[in-house]
Amino acid sequence: MHASTFLVAIFITLQAFSQENTMVLVPDGTYKPFIKGDSKQISVASFFIDEKQVSNADFRKFVKENPQWSKENARKLFVDSDYLSQWESDSTVSKKSASGAPVVNVSWFAAKAYCEWTDRRLPTLDEWEYVAASLPYNSTDTNSIKKLIADWYSRNDTKSNYKNAMGVWNMHGKVWEWVYDFDRIQSNSDSRNKEEVPAGFFCGSASLNASDASDYTSFVRYAFRSSLKGNYTVRNLGFRCAKSK
Amino acid sequence: MKTTFNYTIRFILVFSFVTAFSACQKKEKAGEDLNTEIIGETNAILTHAPEVPPHITAKHNTKVIVNLEVIEKTMRLADGVNYTFWTFGGKVPGSFIRIRQGDLVEFHLHNHPDNMLPHNIDLHAVTGPGGGAEASLIAPGKSAQFSFRALNQGLYVYHCATAPVGMHIANGMYGLILVEPLEGLPPVDHEFYLMQGEFYTSKQQDANGHRDFDMQKALDENPDFVVINGAVGASAGENAMRVKVGETVRLFVGNGGPNLVSSFHAIGEIFDQVAIEGGSLINENVQTTLIPAGGSSIVEFKCDVPGTLHLVDHSIFRAFNKGALAQIKVEGAENHQVYTGKQREDVYLPEGSAVQHITTKETADVAVVLPEKTLEERLSEGQTLFNQNCMACHMENGKGIAGTFPPLENSDFLQARNDKGIGIVLHGLQGEITVNGTKYNNIMPAVKLSDDQVASVLTYIHNKFNNDKVLVKASDVADWRSKND
Repeated sequence: MHASTFLVAIFITLQAFSQENTMVLVPDGTYKPFIKGDSKQISVASFFIDEKQVSNADFRKFVKENPQWSKENARKLFVDSDYLSQWESDSTVSKKSASGAPVVNVSWFAAKAYCEWTDRRLPTLDEWEYVAASLPYNSTDTNSIKKLIADWYSRNDTKSNYKNAMGVWNMHGKVWEWVYDFDRIQSNSDSRNKEEVPAGFFCGSASLNASDASDYTSFVRYAFRSSLKGNYTVRNLGFRCAKSK
Repeated sequence: MKTTFNYTIRFILVFSFVTAFSACQKKEKAGEDLNTEIIGETNAILTHAPEVPPHITAKHNTKVIVNLEVIEKTMRLADGVNYTFWTFGGKVPGSFIRIRQGDLVEFHLHNHPDNMLPHNIDLHAVTGPGGGAEASLIAPGKSAQFSFRALNQGLYVYHCATAPVGMHIANGMYGLILVEPLEGLPPVDHEFYLMQGEFYTSKQQDANGHRDFDMQKALDENPDFVVINGAVGASAGENAMRVKVGETVRLFVGNGGPNLVSSFHAIGEIFDQVAIEGGSLINENVQTTLIPAGGSSIVEFKCDVPGTLHLVDHSIFRAFNKGALAQIKVEGAENHQVYTGKQREDVYLPEGSAVQHITTKETADVAVVLPEKTLEERLSEGQTLFNQNCMACHMENGKGIAGTFPPLENSDFLQARNDKGIGIVLHGLQGEITVNGTKYNNIMPAVKLSDDQVASVLTYIHNKFNNDKVLVKASDVADWRSKND
């Protein structure tokens, strides 16, 4: 190994380890996609994913070392006007958002930049859904995930704190999460395809394209993604990072 | 019943006669002429049910700016039941929008930043893809704008069309938009806004009585609540609409569904005219009109005699057991030429809004102990419960119907009972009894209320109808149950 490459490798490793969030190795596997496609099961190759969502404290370090992503400096092309609005300033967090809480009001561009700063990336939609389908640890009740989501949207009960069988925390019930290809579904409903059955998430076309039309909690999640644009920031939308093996 | 809208009907009959000869040609509609001039602009006045925005007086078409905010919030669905509604404008049904045929509408939909979910709007009054749905899908904290020309007149439903559509509608995301003819509808004394919708709820989730959406019940089309204006009793009892004898009333009635078709009826009134399905076809002298899910109706009548009109879904278990009941109180002098008063045939069967049973005992499915309430709280809740469960027979004033339904007012029978009446509510009563010297032999079904609700309704009866001023506690009911059930 060339000396400079070696140094860069050490630097990246140190930076990755400087983050509080530990990663979980997700095994090879398959999951049944919510959107009807060519295959009934989608294969996902083994990868690493953050055990928890990126926190306000994590993101503050990123902003400190990358001032171009501060509230003041971040370019309007990449973030909308609510970017990090839960922070009173770049160094103080308002009472409502504890430093350990998941960071929200971050755009896709900002989330992607954060992951890349730690030599990682956002999980793909398939990776995220595969991990999210893992039932709570020690649970065999397939309805438990639906219940977690229902509790959250219906009663805003964010106290739930659960680890799934893969060892990943709170895939449901804290905040929505960005994925790398969040607009994959949405892009199919481009107005140029109007003559065909639109693949978007409006009215009847949504149920025509779902593998289980009664799976309303998945509908909610897919509909949420399809309402987003890359520079959008939302009060209950955060992210976690992934890394290929 | 004599209609007060002869002119309109004559006009419509003549109009129909003329158009009958040109059935193949598409009817010419004023609003389809896109060259009509749009003069000025105005912000639409939006109202919560049962209020309707005022008549528009301008003689010309206008650009109308509508700002509608989507708010997810927890509110009362029935006494002791809270639900997280998704609303257009903060209440269910959504804000009433009034525009005129030919108007240009600039529509702004805002999704409140604290909301959890994306939303959009499909207005049936819009000619265009998705009724605006595609153009208006927005994440929490965003606003969307689109414009449309109101080509067709009529009373139209709007609703959210974000997946899962059924769930968004089931959580309360519907309202009405009225597209009037440019000259306006004929004047009436009162206009009101009513909208029916049904709710599919889970078991009680916490001590506040919160219930969640239940997808399986929605798929089975088996709602727990069918309500008018967003909650049991929202436009009844103290919240009833009020008019005077001799006045004319126009109701804009919508049905948000998501599943059920409404058999809309006014107990004690006949609709002089009905704009069927909210369109241009007028029917006269109608007792009950069907309102499809995602449809509407405009009904008009004159109130000739005093009393309370019960507006119901005449699929009647929904009205008396699931909440689909609103009221108009008509005040003024009696007119015995129209109606003589007490006649037994005019009384409805004894039923209440809670689940009833005659032969089997059931225990409440949720045993959450609520904190005891004050006299004021009991009286307030008790009144609503009384109106829903007892009033149909015992009458609003508690006097009952002599010989048929015993009085609760100053009742020697009630005051002599050691159980304060708890046993009667929980188990019903059958056979001959004597109340204040008059014999009664009838059946009262048991009323399936929670201990807390039984305590409130009995406290109301004891205190409001000149009986002993007793505060009945939920624990009294629980005690009685433990000894007798």
